[in-house]
Amino acid sequence: MNMVTQSIDRFDGKLKVTGQARYSGDHSLPNLCYGYLLQSSIAKGRIQSMDVSAAQSSPGVVAIFTPFNPLKIYSPAQAGEEGMISGDVIPLLQNPTVDYFGQTIGFVVAETFEEARDAARLVKLQYQTQPAIVELQAGLGQAYAPKSVSGMGATVSVLSDGVTSIDEALRSAPVLVSATYNSPIEHHNPMEPHATTAMWNGDRLTIYDATQWVQGQQRNLAAVLGIDEANVRVLCPFVGGAFGCKGSMWMHSPLTAAAARVLNRPVKTVLTREQMYSAVGHRPSVRQTVTLGATKQGELTALKHEVYSTSSRVKFFAEAAAHRTSLALYKSPNILVTHQIVPIDFAPGTFMRAPGVAPGMFGLESAMDELAVKLGVDPVDLRLRNYATAEPVHKLPWSSKHLDECYRVGAEKFGWSRRSPEPKSTRNGDWLIGQGMATALYPAHRSHAEVKIRFQSDGNVSVSAATHDLGTGMYTVLAIVASEALGIPPERIQAVLGDSGLTVAPVAGGSQTTASVSPAVAAAADSAIKKLIATAVSGTKSPFSGMNPSDVSYANGVVQASGKSVPFEAVLAALDRSAVEGSGIASPGEEEHKYGFLSFGAQFCEVRVNEWTGEARVTRFTSVMDVGTVVSQKTARSQVIGGIVFGIGMGLLEATKVDPNSGWIANRNLAEYLVPTNADVPHIDVEFLNIPDTTFNLLGVRGIGEIGIAGVPAAIANAIFNATGIRVRDLPITPESLLVDQKGMA
Amino acid sequence: MKAFSYKLAGSTDEATGTGTQSAFIAGGTNLVDLMKIDVMDPKELVDINQLPMRGVTLDNNGLRIGALEKMAYVAEQPDVVQHFPVISQALLKSASAQLRNMASIGGNLMQRTRCGYFRDVIMPCNKRVPGSGCPAFTGENRMHAILGVGNACCATHPSDLAVALVALDASINLQGPKGTRSIKLDDFYLLPKDTPNREHAIEPGELITGVTVPHTNWYQRSAYLKIRDRESYEFALCSAAVALDMDAFMIRDARIAAGGVGTKPWKLPEVAQALIGKRVSQATFEQAAEIAAKDAHPLSQNGFKVTLLKRTLTRALVQVGGGVA
Ligand SMILES: Cc1cc2nc3c(=O)[nH]c(=O)nc-3n(C[C@H](O)[C@H](O)[C@H](O)COP(=O)(O)OP(=O)(O)OC[C@H]3O[C@@H](n4cnc5c(N)ncnc54)[C@H](O)[C@@H]3O)c2cc1C
Repeated sequence: MNMVTQSIDRFDGKLKVTGQARYSGDHSLPNLCYGYLLQSSIAKGRIQSMDVSAAQSSPGVVAIFTPFNPLKIYSPAQAGEEGMISGDVIPLLQNPTVDYFGQTIGFVVAETFEEARDAARLVKLQYQTQPAIVELQAGLGQAYAPKSVSGMGATVSVLSDGVTSIDEALRSAPVLVSATYNSPIEHHNPMEPHATTAMWNGDRLTIYDATQWVQGQQRNLAAVLGIDEANVRVLCPFVGGAFGCKGSMWMHSPLTAAAARVLNRPVKTVLTREQMYSAVGHRPSVRQTVTLGATKQGELTALKHEVYSTSSRVKFFAEAAAHRTSLALYKSPNILVTHQIVPIDFAPGTFMRAPGVAPGMFGLESAMDELAVKLGVDPVDLRLRNYATAEPVHKLPWSSKHLDECYRVGAEKFGWSRRSPEPKSTRNGDWLIGQGMATALYPAHRSHAEVKIRFQSDGNVSVSAATHDLGTGMYTVLAIVASEALGIPPERIQAVLGDSGLTVAPVAGGSQTTASVSPAVAAAADSAIKKLIATAVSGTKSPFSGMNPSDVSYANGVVQASGKSVPFEAVLAALDRSAVEGSGIASPGEEEHKYGFLSFGAQFCEVRVNEWTGEARVTRFTSVMDVGTVVSQKTARSQVIGGIVFGIGMGLLEATKVDPNSGWIANRNLAEYLVPTNADVPHIDVEFLNIPDTTFNLLGVRGIGEIGIAGVPAAIANAIFNATGIRVRDLPITPESLLVDQKGMA
Repeated sequence: MKAFSYKLAGSTDEATGTGTQSAFIAGGTNLVDLMKIDVMDPKELVDINQLPMRGVTLDNNGLRIGALEKMAYVAEQPDVVQHFPVISQALLKSASAQLRNMASIGGNLMQRTRCGYFRDVIMPCNKRVPGSGCPAFTGENRMHAILGVGNACCATHPSDLAVALVALDASINLQGPKGTRSIKLDDFYLLPKDTPNREHAIEPGELITGVTVPHTNWYQRSAYLKIRDRESYEFALCSAAVALDMDAFMIRDARIAAGGVGTKPWKLPEVAQALIGKRVSQATFEQAAEIAAKDAHPLSQNGFKVTLLKRTLTRALVQVGGGVA
């Protein structure tokens, strides 16, 4: 790819900073009214009575829907592909059962948002409460092995010949480390709250909805509303961050649409920050035990990774911490991963940035550091000694793996060789300084996509698909890829996306958007050029009229033959055509079964920890990524930086606090749910190897949306150990874990 | 948010003459927040921003700060920075730049606790609804108090400024229907005991017009140390306001208070007393800090605050007094 186009500014940037980008909650329509969710204040039980009389007569109220006066909604389970499409499996408001704190138990519609909110507070509820289990610890007794985890069995084992069990392999290992790591429930907290604006025209629904998947939302809404898919159009040209919580359909969307249908008025629902803590998913809490057996030289002989993760009793979701990490990273002759689900009376969980991988890499890469310390081996060396040249389970070769290069470049840039392996050996005044590292990985996914490219008589080109820009840079990527394919500057290319009526594209999840859509851009460009030439030779008024198409060529926006060079817009003008369009598809093929596809990276981190008061702060970060071709330098860098900031949050700050007695969430706001501020984020040095993975797709692109977070909490914990000699195995790492045993006063 | 009426007060008398269903609004950063979540529901808002309760002046009577001055402005006044660094630092470590530009000194001293149970009307709370109970004792209490905890309430007082002012023996100036008065800020804040709903010794209709800090030369040797989970924009896990009067390496006098650990800004006269006449050393500071937590009653999740309090005090004392080899 050309370095100039690669480093252009994001196309949507100006629209966003000037307020011109219209998000799903920004649409005002004639006769619009506003929906507001009423949520349960208990974790488990039944609504005994619900008195809406005061609310009903409150100013501006249009309608109140409750389990006793429901909106017609079918079960999302019927929408197929359970779990991928739908966040909720029970259609809310259909019965008076309460399964979790913050469950939607009413939907109030009023002339203004404030009136709807006020009325919701006037609803008088009586519950019959039942005891609830709301946290991992309390639910361990009910843990069970699920049927499937991340497309595999709950237990996956690889044993070398003659070895009968992982424990046998561990018993004979000369060196052993084993430890348990915990991480809490975390919430995505995108800047943009979920918002839905629904309007009907006869039996056709148009809905502006904050989503990572316009076509999934279309399918799902059609199913739960009981209408034909063709009658639903989902629009979402801009998303203000998602991180997974807009990948599924949550109930506020169909409720809004169903209310608009019965009221015969457009309805808009914007969730509040508080509501988002139970209405749109979270990352489950994880307890994982990692046991490593190794030779004295540090070669792994056995790796056992046992995971418990919480899952809502009403909606299965497995945070696949071991399956997505320990089956992929290290060469070990014996590997066992297990997963158990701890059912809790809590809102449904869902995919959150690097699902499974983010907590799993905290466990695995902390354990590797513990092993390095025990052996007295450098942590980078230990990883190189266990470098997997083939995918460990099926022994497939990697499509392209340069993780060793990531370690080498990262160590060099970070100055790793100057690190003292001795804990507590570096200080600056009261601050202990430490350095740590961890590996990053994330599976490379790809799905079928179709793209259209249109040459327009105004001299511009549009490139379109039903894909998404979550703030990730897809507008920019599409323009860059089309620009390269057509030889036209990116300013003349308009990317069109976020509309379910466009050609098929997958959910913007699993870091697959660029890898899926951009290869189709190249195919669409070929097709559009062929169409342009065919059009140029066929019309009588064309300068190329009657020529043989094979004598006509196209380059850089210009049609050429026998000495004539005519810009495509002039050709179209001569023919009185407003546009010519072509489309192209790209799908994964045979290669899926022949290779392992993974992105890799190395994370290097420096921290300071106050030896009196235990605050830990990240002071330096270096990240080197092997993610295939980098299409758009700036937006790619932003993705990785954003992932690392997410990782700093996971490592040091983020935790959803749940009252153990009531299931009430204590910090449902951005003052008390801590995410990093600028002051918590140091300069982050990101480097891409930029080695194309052409086995994966034509452009050699893998994905970058999620890998940035992978390994970050472990790199931080490992650096904290190096600084203090204290191994913290519970996230987030807060001062209380670091007060012990330092100044001798504890 | 409940419906309310709004009135711009033209004079102090007009403001203080309003009824018990009214609330004064200054910057609104705490009040409006609480009104939106129904925790406060005044029938009438009396806007006091036009009243003449302004100015930051330093003379022999002390430092006077008008109640309506903004946190950001006060923090940057040269007199404050130079003579009362602990006040300037406490302000600058509060909230965010945007909030400090909006929030007033009076409002800061009157802000309500951040206890999540208090801030959510679906939960019981003795402070909000006397007698309804306190789930924090057996629930989420990591951020809660270890000092001054009664049977009814364990919520911390959130203000950083108040900790600095209480340390320095500041007085609060009040004006009400019955006239003006001035009391020690330490006495202005009440312990929760059995009536956590009564937080301040303020009478209905009374306005805070300002605060006065005694002018003592050695207050320039002072600092505010705030420990928190994240580097900025967060309330204290624990904080220390420390001022030391030193004669070479001898401590002549001291003022000390702690935040994030008490149900009110926590003055520590016994810690100060233990330092007087001592030579600075880490051991001296550690011994004195030990006294701070002697009456601590940690809850299920905040036992670490006992250690953290001692460490924070020691670190702040070392910072102000030196004395560590
Ligand atoms: C996210 C967030 C983080 C924060 N972090 C911190 C922090 O780290 N440290 C910290 O100290 N504070 C922090 N704050 C609190 C902030 O400092 C207060 O909100 C602010 O100081 C209140 O001042 P105000 O002028 O806006 O008060 P208002 O909201 O106008 O009033 C608050 C209360 O004081 C009363 N009041 C106001 N003025 C007077 C007066 N003159 N006389 C009598 N009563 C009066 C009002 O009636 C009301 O009850 C934070 C706030 C937020 C929202």
